[in-house]
Amino acid sequence: MPIVASSPWGPVGAPSPTATFDLVAVFRLQGSRMLAVEMAGDSVKAKNGSMVAYDGRMAFKRLTGGGEGIRGMMTRRIAGERMTVMEVKGEGTCWFADRASQINLVELRGEKLYVEASNLLCTQSGLRTGTTFTGLRGAAQGNGLFTTTVEGHGQAAIMSDGPAVVLRVSRDHPLTVDPGAYVAHQGSLRQTFQSGAGFRTLMGEGGGEAVQILFEGDGLVYVQPSERDTIAGDV
Amino acid sequence: MAPMPTTAFREINSKMVEATVVPGRVVYSQRGAMLAYRGDVTFTPNIQGGQGGLASMLGRRVANEATPLMTVEGSGTVMFGHGGHHVHVIALSGDTLYVEADRLLAFDGTLRQGTVFLGEQGGVMGLVRGQFTGQGLFTTSLQGHGSAAVMAHGGVIEVPITPGRPVHVDPQAYVAHHGDVRNKLSAALGWREMVGRGSGEGFQLELSGSGAVYVQASEKKL
Repeated sequence: MPIVASSPWGPVGAPSPTATFDLVAVFRLQGSRMLAVEMAGDSVKAKNGSMVAYDGRMAFKRLTGGGEGIRGMMTRRIAGERMTVMEVKGEGTCWFADRASQINLVELRGEKLYVEASNLLCTQSGLRTGTTFTGLRGAAQGNGLFTTTVEGHGQAAIMSDGPAVVLRVSRDHPLTVDPGAYVAHQGSLRQTFQSGAGFRTLMGEGGGEAVQILFEGDGLVYVQPSERDTIAGDV
Repeated sequence: MAPMPTTAFREINSKMVEATVVPGRVVYSQRGAMLAYRGDVTFTPNIQGGQGGLASMLGRRVANEATPLMTVEGSGTVMFGHGGHHVHVIALSGDTLYVEADRLLAFDGTLRQGTVFLGEQGGVMGLVRGQFTGQGLFTTSLQGHGSAAVMAHGGVIEVPITPGRPVHVDPQAYVAHHGDVRNKLSAALGWREMVGRGSGEGFQLELSGSGAVYVQASEKKL
């Protein structure tokens, strides 16, 4: 199954590849840190407070529990994967940005995208969000044990600290990633938590890369050129 | 954007601009914002904080729009940048640019600098607006032919404002605007905001008229 991911390295100001569907908001990157969404009466879900400007008519409504219903809300509460989302509905262009983070467009065709709630900026109405258990990996990333999933058909905008690279993982080419530099992944990937810690690490002479995540299978991994503070980052 | 003949500034990268200084043509810049220069250029601290003599200086002091400026003179090229912020060059051809003094990195000496009382636009809401955006009650205006280098956190986009199609901007992401534009603070407050479950977009700056507004990719002040 071909997986299409838009390039995060588009030249500043150049129009990025966009998908057009009937009555679906059109996502366009304006520069690398600003997302322009053109809407014609439909709606998108966006991170609370991330609107920076709009023209035309827009209404902003906070969605309780990320718009995932009572069950989704309860799961989120328990998971601690806090996500405050608003629904933006109207006609015109709405611009979104958050703390000057780089924005990457991801197109989903039925597959699942795993991303931290704090890195998810905006999703088209055809996408559903949910919560999933990640196990130890989450703890190593300093993100908690749960992560957010985005599923369905449409585009999502995810954020990274610095321009993200999209790395392909295939059966013959597994990929190992620093937990702090991991942003998101999609496709059917299996992740294993690896420890590179050895005798030297215990002696305080570690290479600073004691913990890694190994991705195997078929899919894409988004990696940012920056590392979050993680427990493993110091050893 | 093709360099206009009146433009002294050239964007080197997203965070640095280069200004060409020739005798008889002065550039004002925020004090300490020079990164490097070529040629025979002098930097003089400008006690008055800009143009317009003593009265204007007092005006700026009172208005708290008195960011320390320096006069750059001579012949050569000077590079400016400050705090790793993104820099955007805005060319003016006769209209007025409104910008916060602390966002102003450098501007052509051909531009006329002034201080504007925000209460003049939008009455009481204008005053509230200044407080909300952290801009205070006054802002700086630049008028004439020339260009100005403005700082922002994260890149800047220009959103055109046309009659009958107002643009709404998050007050924290607002950088500057130019043209014949009226602005007012609009509150879209409902019961959700009152119970602390708002969308985070309760206050918006509504700009109408004709011109353009510059918006940064962040809700952070400089």
